[in-house]
Amino acid sequence: MEIFNSESKKIISDPLSINNPISLQVLGICSALAVTIRLDQAIIMTIAVIFVLCSSNVILSALRNFIPSRVRIVVMLSIIASLVTIVDQVLQAYLYDMSKQLSVFVGLIITNCIIMGRAEAFALKHGPSKAFLDGLGNGLGYGMIIIIVSFFRELFGAGTITLPDGGAGYVLFSIPEAWYAAGYENIGLLVLSPGAFFILGLVIWTQRELFGIEEGE
Amino acid sequence: MHSNNYTLAFVFIITVLLGTILSFTKENLRDLQEYNLKADMKKNILRSLDFEESENEPWSNEVVEKIFNDNIQAFCVDTSGSVVDCIIEEVDTEKNLEVLPVYLKVVDNKTEGIAIPVAGKGLWSTVFGYIALESDTDTVLGIQFYKHGETPGLGGEVDKAWFTNNFIGKKIRDNSGDVIGVEVLKGKVDNSKASAIHQVDGISGATVTSKGVTVFLKDDLGRYENYLNKVRADGNI
Repeated sequence: MEIFNSESKKIISDPLSINNPISLQVLGICSALAVTIRLDQAIIMTIAVIFVLCSSNVILSALRNFIPSRVRIVVMLSIIASLVTIVDQVLQAYLYDMSKQLSVFVGLIITNCIIMGRAEAFALKHGPSKAFLDGLGNGLGYGMIIIIVSFFRELFGAGTITLPDGGAGYVLFSIPEAWYAAGYENIGLLVLSPGAFFILGLVIWTQRELFGIEEGE
Repeated sequence: MHSNNYTLAFVFIITVLLGTILSFTKENLRDLQEYNLKADMKKNILRSLDFEESENEPWSNEVVEKIFNDNIQAFCVDTSGSVVDCIIEEVDTEKNLEVLPVYLKVVDNKTEGIAIPVAGKGLWSTVFGYIALESDTDTVLGIQFYKHGETPGLGGEVDKAWFTNNFIGKKIRDNSGDVIGVEVLKGKVDNSKASAIHQVDGISGATVTSKGVTVFLKDDLGRYENYLNKVRADGNI
């Protein structure tokens, strides 16, 4: 099967633009609020979600003709939960500091509506390679939004930009002390969950303006 | 529609398969995870004892292990202050209130600090940490909170440097020498008062967490009182 024909491209690019899981389908909001305090957390979370989403989509799509439809939700959940548990265990073993910061939110990927949603809406109806692309597209769409939100929350809330490394994070940039001395202050509100709502609202607005999407369409 | 037998068999196979994969993963990663946990505990003990992480040599697990082995003596005491046998990494300080772990910072055969684990209820969660005293068993050398589930930005500020740095230099004994701990106030410390030496600034918006810290510092330090008195009377440890 041709992987990069126009239909496949659409499967990947739609979630990034006109059908984004967070900003247009409004799925996965709770983790988007929780893990966007720092950029490095958002990046690791994105990788974890992409892994879980692609794997669960491919596995479920490969099994789609064998899964009895009466128990499909249970089967979907146990496969997704197992994948998330593996991610959690691997983080605890190899990225301990990061797993401490992300704490319960890695486990909560299980309840991220994007994953169940894509499994039910797409993977059970399409072949594995398309399901993989759909997982990748939606994972990237999710990641794109939480990375944008966390960039602004960390920059204006904590005054730093942190990238992930093996340990507690590599501080790429921090607002110079001289600015603080001159009266600059971090916006404490952005560190709290409501701060994420404000940024997310602005992102959704910008995106709808850019792609000309109107309510009720 | 699949038959009942098919459905049962399918679910059975999936469950066994996933169970096997998960236990296999856990078995393979267990050693690394436990090593990380211990290294993290040691890292926090070192931080409370005023070891500083240098910019050019960040604390990897190996560095932590080395500094810890070179400078820290770990043992347990009971509530009367005598040394007792224990496997210090397995002492559950939350449940076992009789066996008390002690970590001494010994540099060039001189004791420079005593770190003891503290833990207690905040608002949502148990807050875990280490408080370190200077060898006079009165002055706070440092404090670290390493595990909690308090609200980020409010009670979650307990683990931030601006809060923990305020403890440094405070006294845990009153004028008669009794262990009273350090009180986290609501609001700012009034430095003109004599009691200021036992108090630190509170966290705004986190009254319950602040009160919790005050209570468990007093309780946990109180359990070590006999040991601390012994250390003070002997002049050595």
